[in-house]
Amino acid sequence: MPRHIKIGLIVFGIGGAIAMGFFVDIVGRVRSMVNERETEENPFKPPAQPLYAPTDPPMTVKIFFPAASGDSLLVAEDQTIFKSAEIANRARQILQKIQEGPGRDTMLAPLPKEAKVQDLFISEQGTAFIDFSDALATAHPGGVLNELTTIYSIVDSLTYNLPEIKQVKILIGGVEKETLAGHCLLLLPLEMDLSITNVIPHEEKTAQLK
Amino acid sequence: MFLFVPFCGYSSPSSRSDKISQAMRAARIGIPLAALGAALFIFGGLMHAADTSIPIYFPNSKLIVKAETFNRATYVPIKEIIEFMGVPYTDALALETLTLRSGNSRLLMTKNSALMSYNNQILLLPSPILREEGRWLAPIEFLTIGLTRLTGTEFRYRPGTPRIFADNVDSPELEMNAQTLGPITRLTLRCSVPLKLDLKRDNQRAILAIDRPALDPVRERLDHRDRMVRFAFDDSDGDAKIILDLTRDVTDMRLTAADNNRVFFLDLLTKKEPVTEAAPPPVPTPAPAAKPDVIPAQRKVRVVVIDPGHGGMDTGAKSASMVEKDFTLVFARKLRTALQTRLGPTVLLTRDSDVALDNEARSAVANNNQANLFISLHAGYSANKLDDGSSVFVMKDNFGQAFTTAAAGGRDQLFLPWYLGYRIHHQASVSAANVLQEELSKAIPGSKFAVRTAPLAVLSSATMPSVLLEIGNFNNPVNAQTLADDGFQKTLADALVNAILRFSQSPQAAAN
Repeated sequence: MPRHIKIGLIVFGIGGAIAMGFFVDIVGRVRSMVNERETEENPFKPPAQPLYAPTDPPMTVKIFFPAASGDSLLVAEDQTIFKSAEIANRARQILQKIQEGPGRDTMLAPLPKEAKVQDLFISEQGTAFIDFSDALATAHPGGVLNELTTIYSIVDSLTYNLPEIKQVKILIGGVEKETLAGHCLLLLPLEMDLSITNVIPHEEKTAQLK
Repeated sequence: MFLFVPFCGYSSPSSRSDKISQAMRAARIGIPLAALGAALFIFGGLMHAADTSIPIYFPNSKLIVKAETFNRATYVPIKEIIEFMGVPYTDALALETLTLRSGNSRLLMTKNSALMSYNNQILLLPSPILREEGRWLAPIEFLTIGLTRLTGTEFRYRPGTPRIFADNVDSPELEMNAQTLGPITRLTLRCSVPLKLDLKRDNQRAILAIDRPALDPVRERLDHRDRMVRFAFDDSDGDAKIILDLTRDVTDMRLTAADNNRVFFLDLLTKKEPVTEAAPPPVPTPAPAAKPDVIPAQRKVRVVVIDPGHGGMDTGAKSASMVEKDFTLVFARKLRTALQTRLGPTVLLTRDSDVALDNEARSAVANNNQANLFISLHAGYSANKLDDGSSVFVMKDNFGQAFTTAAAGGRDQLFLPWYLGYRIHHQASVSAANVLQEELSKAIPGSKFAVRTAPLAVLSSATMPSVLLEIGNFNNPVNAQTLADDGFQKTLADALVNAILRFSQSPQAAAN
């Protein structure tokens, strides 16, 4: 075999080996990135903080659940949470209660089982931003009334029990969505609406007592 | 061909070189000349486009003038117009000026100048006045800027439309809409005054002559989406008419009058088979000659837009045998037929096939067609399998108000967000919902129809009375079966027609 062909083959072989090395490295990186996204146990996920301290006193809250029948769309159920120092943690506890669903048959579960609260943040102006997982929209069975009760179960439970929260903005999958499941607008933060519930607003209650 | 000549020259024998160099010289002169000629031909065409006839409607007469287009500006001949109006003038050939007089006022124009002098006051036109072959041509704005001041005659024209209305001549608007209903393509003409129409067909062209002059069509032409027909309004000779370019598939045409000759339906029957889809049954053919049974004199709902909820990938709620998107489409078609047969308004569907549409596009169909009523149709779903209630929704009152007021910071609000469009007709929407509730409760006794409010995306930007009807519960097997029943759907459609008729006669119906 002539010498120049030998040299050529050697150079080609070395080049091929280096290219292969790069290729394997890149494939490995891409795989690790994909796995990172798919794995539930993300190593970078901050450790879960307890939502209340053992010394926090209990407080009774009204959780609004969709009524199975009757004139009111939402019916309140008294439940107990702990008065944690941070308002956001109280809000998280209320959301947990909503997710767990009602204790009686006369009420319905407001959220699809798969839906999870991914994050919660309360702004200085009193707007609670709640980021739900995509399942809130994708696993929602549909229906205008059903969607309305899902939204106001969250909005009313938070704003009624925590006066620091003036309005609620719902995000889905970390982003702003036009509607939850095609009907109700989520573009603006929503305020408390007790007209669809069986509960009297605080102001009217104090007025009646006087 | 010229281009080849110089290259040939390098390889040719020396005996022919003289002839070739002559040819090269000819080419050097010829090519630039040809290019110049081509440029003049192309750009000259842009400078001076084809002439069009423009009718000017005066209260008891009309004048047809030849308008010309220079540099995209429309020019009208001045002398013809002022002679027709009887305005005295002096055309000074040597000075190249034209002076118009009326009483003590004087309007002086100069050739190739965009400036005019009106009683020693300077007026500016958007393009200069021209004088060609003894004709004085002025941009169309001359009528409003110059002639109105001089004579007091008002001129009205919409930019881009080939007609001018002078003084207080009555120019009723003419609306044209077209839609396909199975094998029929229906052209709906609507005017605020009674008209007399005459239809003549000449093979692939039909002319619908209108006996009334000075009509103001909302749209000049209508290219229907199935390309079967094209409609164009034409009054270039002063006689209003609609010219229809037809294809051979159009086998028959029928003209039906309604609403005391204010509304006309021109049905074009085609051989084309209706496009049928898998899920819904074939579209019931509305009887084109069937006259609406009730034509109240002051009916305010002329265009109804029905929105079959969901579509495409978005199936909506599901029952054991049906999905919401199919139910809403089938029912919307039945409601359209019932409405057109009994009341005769223009009924448009936001979707007439299984396609996905976003909420904004749905309300845009109603907004763009100046609808007087918008009804969005949905089926309900409740986790309670025994629930069978229905709801009539209107937009939640004051939705977004607190937020927008806070954002404006107390100052006058400059921008009204589009999702607040519902506010204009909110009260009328509530009235429509109440009428709907009453009629539905009457027609389907035992069922509950509640009027509710919600921040609904599809109603938020609809600028007319708008409601959303959510019928039944897909999770209730008995109820889902009832909803699929043809007879029940007919009862429901009849109840809705009754409600629309009642709403139409109520003072709350918007007459837009």
